[in-house]
Amino acid sequence: MQLWKKAALVCVSVLLVVISSCASILLLYTQRTVLDLSRDQAKAKQLNLAASFSELTNYYITDKDSETVKESLLYYSFSRFSDDAAVLVKDGEILYSNMRIDPAKYLPLQNSLPEDETTIGEQRLCEAKTDGHDLLIVGSIVRIHKEYYCVYVVEDITDVHQSILILMCRFVIICLVGIMLGAFVLAFLLHYGAKPLATLSSVSKRIASGEYDVRADVNTKDEIGTLAADFNTMAQAVQVHIAELSETAERQRLFIGSVAHEFKTPLTAILLHTRLLQNVNMTDQEKHDSLSHIEKQCTWLESLTQKLLKTITLKQEIIKERITAEELINRVQASTQQIMVTRNTQLKTSCDDSSVFVDGDLMQSLLVNLVDNASKAYDPDSTNRSILLAISNNILEVRDTGRGIPADAIDRIFEPFYMVDKSRSKKTGSSGLGLALVKQIADAHDAHLEVNSAPGIGTTVRVILPKQKERNNN
Amino acid sequence: MKNRILLVEDDGSIASAVKLNLQVAGYDCVVFDDGKKAAEALTDDHAYDLALLDIMLPGIDGFELFSYMERYNIPVIYMTAKTDSESEIKGLRDGAEDYVVKPFDILTLMVRIEKALRRTGRLNTVYRIRDVAVNSETRTVTKAGEVIYLQPLEFDVLLLLLKYKNMTVTREQLMAEVWGYDYVGETRVLDIKIFNLRKKLDLGDAIKTLPKLGYRLEDR
Repeated sequence: MQLWKKAALVCVSVLLVVISSCASILLLYTQRTVLDLSRDQAKAKQLNLAASFSELTNYYITDKDSETVKESLLYYSFSRFSDDAAVLVKDGEILYSNMRIDPAKYLPLQNSLPEDETTIGEQRLCEAKTDGHDLLIVGSIVRIHKEYYCVYVVEDITDVHQSILILMCRFVIICLVGIMLGAFVLAFLLHYGAKPLATLSSVSKRIASGEYDVRADVNTKDEIGTLAADFNTMAQAVQVHIAELSETAERQRLFIGSVAHEFKTPLTAILLHTRLLQNVNMTDQEKHDSLSHIEKQCTWLESLTQKLLKTITLKQEIIKERITAEELINRVQASTQQIMVTRNTQLKTSCDDSSVFVDGDLMQSLLVNLVDNASKAYDPDSTNRSILLAISNNILEVRDTGRGIPADAIDRIFEPFYMVDKSRSKKTGSSGLGLALVKQIADAHDAHLEVNSAPGIGTTVRVILPKQKERNNN
Repeated sequence: MKNRILLVEDDGSIASAVKLNLQVAGYDCVVFDDGKKAAEALTDDHAYDLALLDIMLPGIDGFELFSYMERYNIPVIYMTAKTDSESEIKGLRDGAEDYVVKPFDILTLMVRIEKALRRTGRLNTVYRIRDVAVNSETRTVTKAGEVIYLQPLEFDVLLLLLKYKNMTVTREQLMAEVWGYDYVGETRVLDIKIFNLRKKLDLGDAIKTLPKLGYRLEDR
């Protein structure tokens, strides 16, 4: 059940119970008060009547009077005082009545005799219902010349009951209308107040189904508005994280795809030559060629695997040490000597007396890769074949004057397996992983890589180390 | 007439292996390691029955090279490491005969080449070994111009050996191809057919028995 329906229903029922019980109590009191008032009035009237009647009759009537005289005097004096509904009874017999309804129907006639002297003058009160009238009867016994009479005053209280009933009906109607109106207004308010919640709900469903860019459009300034704002902040964070995650996953997918692709060509060659050797009658020369093809491809696979492993496992902790620029340059020179000779290239170096705080082996590997790459930048017939390796003030630089990198390729050269010219790279034995490794090492050192290149002029790669304070090991 | 096949593949090892295989099986094979060079050479010489194209090539790529092949009406089989179905669909939709993914088995490639040649009506139907000529269409065999009568099963065995000339054909392959995959029974029937072939066509030394492996028809 929706919140606004629930709240409206609960409110209506609570109001109904509270108001109706209050009203009932109030009505009950009113009724009682009115009835009490009527009773008191009736009692007063009866007392007055009984007193006046007995006094007058006792005064007028003497023992010497005949029965007829007595009777007419009785009638006379009773009728004189009883301007309202009054009844005179003697020995269960109605002597006088000015009631429209026959008093015999409702008067308790049988007990018109006193039980003893004390009950004389004592008022008795009872109620009766006759012909749709509610009657209040007050009576007492009076003694007139040793004879006992009952004097009754009858008050019609039908109106009192009826007016209470009408009051109750009106009250119920007013109450119901009021409560209905209130409930309607409450439901309306709640319904509109809760609308932003429905928006939030539908938005979160859409986010759950993968639409990470939707936001809740709620601009109210209440708690729901705050909730919506927080919700939007959360959705934003989720979107950013998901984007990052899928980017990483996509990168890894591409990387694995390229790895598989790179392995396929050598594997195909090996497979084909193995089949040849197995199934075809070959000359000795052909067999020899096939075997050397297999060997070449295996060596290639081996070096590819090595580089791949290095790229993947580099993430592990690096151990930084302070190493002088000169020593680093010497180490790079030593390990690139062979390449320089085979490629007929000269490595020029320059450094100041500074030192760098790096992982020596990794930084050496980075520089060797850059120098190796630079040496491949020369066409076989170019004459000025020299590479400059310079280290100064936390900047490591490798510069060549080779063929350069096309502007549209510069952004991609650090991607694994990206090669500007695939066929040429193959001939020089590039795996496409060298610069990816360089990037990883630079990243591990929080270093910035800067590439300046122009086709035909040459390429300069700078590794800018962060100006990091050496941690005091003492 | 031998079928002439153009091979464009930038990896030397793969190219040499495929070339040797095609040659021993009786095809002529011309190799290029660069798309552009291959396209340029087509203007002078385009008498090819089939082209085997790598897709990622230096110069111009295989998909682009396809349009040159189309111009000279040369059927194309792609031979590539690109496994994505997009490339495969593109290749085949453009009109290539087939799409072979690296690493592939050479016998698969041979079968695909043969099917493609047959579909395009270019398959050489006459196989030769020494002075024996076998016509796979008319199912006739001649030796030095004279017609030799062969039993149908003998003919099938000979044809299979000729198709994979200079390559080992295993006993299982022979049984499956000639007698059917569900054949159960004596494999000695195969020995008898081989014996008959050797005798009827005087190919005693050309049909070589490879113990525990199979047979190989050699002409080199």
